[in-house]
Amino acid sequence: MSKTEDLEFPFCDDANKYEKLAKIGQGTFGEVFKARDRKTKQIVAMKKVLMENEKEGFPITALREIKILQLLKNDNVVNLVEICRTRATPYNRFKSTFYLIFEFCEHDLAGLLSNANVKFSLGEIKKVMQQLINGLYFIHSNKILHRDMKAANILITKSGVLKLADFGLARAFSISSKGAGRYTNRVVTLWYRPPELLLGDRNYGPPIDMWGAGCIMAEMWTRTPIMQGKTEQHQLQLISQLCGSITVEVWPGVEKLEFFGTMELAQGQKRKVKDRLKAYIKDQYALDMLDKLLTLDPSKRIDSDNSLNHDFFWTDPMPCDLSNMLSKHTTSMFEYLAPPRRRGPIAPNPNQRPVQNPDQHFERVF
Amino acid sequence: MAGNFWQSSHYHQWLLDKQDLAREQQHDLKIVTEEEYQKIMIFFANFIQAIGEHLKVRQQVIATATVYLKRFYARNSLKSIDPWLMAPTCIFLASKVEEFGLISNSRLITTCQTVVKNKFSHAYPQEYPFRISNVLECEFYLLEMMDCCLVLYHPYRDLTQYCADLPSTEGDKILPLAWRIANDSLRTDVSLLYPPYLIALACLHIACVIDQKDLKQWFAELSVDTEKILEITRQILSLYELWKNYDEKAEIITILRKMPKPKSCPSPPPNQGTNNQDGAQQSQNQQQTQQQQT
Repeated sequence: MSKTEDLEFPFCDDANKYEKLAKIGQGTFGEVFKARDRKTKQIVAMKKVLMENEKEGFPITALREIKILQLLKNDNVVNLVEICRTRATPYNRFKSTFYLIFEFCEHDLAGLLSNANVKFSLGEIKKVMQQLINGLYFIHSNKILHRDMKAANILITKSGVLKLADFGLARAFSISSKGAGRYTNRVVTLWYRPPELLLGDRNYGPPIDMWGAGCIMAEMWTRTPIMQGKTEQHQLQLISQLCGSITVEVWPGVEKLEFFGTMELAQGQKRKVKDRLKAYIKDQYALDMLDKLLTLDPSKRIDSDNSLNHDFFWTDPMPCDLSNMLSKHTTSMFEYLAPPRRRGPIAPNPNQRPVQNPDQHFERVF
Repeated sequence: MAGNFWQSSHYHQWLLDKQDLAREQQHDLKIVTEEEYQKIMIFFANFIQAIGEHLKVRQQVIATATVYLKRFYARNSLKSIDPWLMAPTCIFLASKVEEFGLISNSRLITTCQTVVKNKFSHAYPQEYPFRISNVLECEFYLLEMMDCCLVLYHPYRDLTQYCADLPSTEGDKILPLAWRIANDSLRTDVSLLYPPYLIALACLHIACVIDQKDLKQWFAELSVDTEKILEITRQILSLYELWKNYDEKAEIITILRKMPKPKSCPSPPPNQGTNNQDGAQQSQNQQQTQQQQT
């Protein structure tokens, strides 16, 4: 086909307008860099679109992330500034690389939680959760599922604004289901994966993100993921140990899920969400909301709208601004850059964090 | 996907005005007449429709692909990228964006070959020349040219809603006809110029006239820009006017011969696989095997 000489590209800017400063993460479909606009000096995050599968062309996951982020503009959703590309030259076989340019956020929640010097008061925890659930309320009402809730995908700016990030696995859903078997259940990082996905549900909806919100909420106190399964089977076991046995009595219809017969499900387990977490969490409203988020049956799990109305957010101490607390910390905290987190108190499992930073570089940001 | 048209890139970046269109097309219009240009765009919309139907994709995918094609040539000369290549590329991308799934590479190319051979040999007597590596490269240009504005709003959803809103059961009766008119509207520029809800109303309007249904009262109660609806109506009607005395099968080859073309065309399908070789080298080869008349 014709070379680019006849084509002018008036749209996407050249990625070269940004100067890469450091690698700060690994997203679902590409590396993430901190970068600076050479002209305006604005700091941004650049996410490279990996073109791994040549046959796929421009990856579906990247297309989804782009179209979803162009659709979702909200304070609690990461802001896509623009899309850039590198120039096509003989060196890259005339194939340019695309970058998604995001507003820069100084921290991610996993990074903050792994730093023992970062202490959240109850009011601050409420503010984190309120923003997180507000973000979910917004995306769910736009008929989008995040599908990769985890602390590392929750960004927080230095002024304390929380942003849901990494929509690489997100997709649109419809309520008018024409039957099961529509979406892949191989989504969500194992430790945050809800029981319906582990049991092979392919017709899931917003409750999958609410389960993740519950896992993250508990983590605000435990400081480490509460259920660190090694396999899908093990994850289900940990869930049963915390939330009680998965049975038709507590979850009518569960028997219809694909793997209900094949997965081993612990019998006779009592539900001990409140019991086991009260060692960390003193606030009764917090325990109650957590109990409702970590409900086994997705149809009974609390949704984002009702969560926002929960007494947890409307009793003293009220949610309070994070900027004061964060101003004490002048270093960016990203999970990618942090040392492995301490052993988990609930699931004492010293095993691997999913991704380790090969060269532990820390970097000052302001 | 839901979402709000008024906040979309479709509304903010991709509602053009007539002057915009005229400016971008003026180069091509030195070579072909306005009517010929229109016939070329109709022809390639038909080509997209044929590929889409052969691949059994939903009409939504075909509609999106057709608008992608229009967007590309609204900003570029026909000679920048051969529409014979751009058409399947638009289908390939639209199928991914509309969540219809990935179309297998070989199936896409085989389909193009089959469709060209069986349905478009009057316009393209040779074998379909493009390979998947061309499509994948072209996809980049298409994405970039659209500034990655992927989500489109079509008149179909609005049309369904308006019809549901019509008095008694009028809606059920009028919807199929209005829907077909909406399909036809993809052969005009209205999707580049007007928001989808106005296009839907214009289609409904035409359908009412054809079916002799009196919905004046209903239209009068809408608080919309009737002047715009009439503009759209006129553009769609002028398409029907054009079709009256137009034999595409007989005339299109002459028009395509005149059509501005890329400097280089792909080499004939090689014996080796479809791997993407060094771009520059490939392009040189192509220049030597250039076969089209100028």
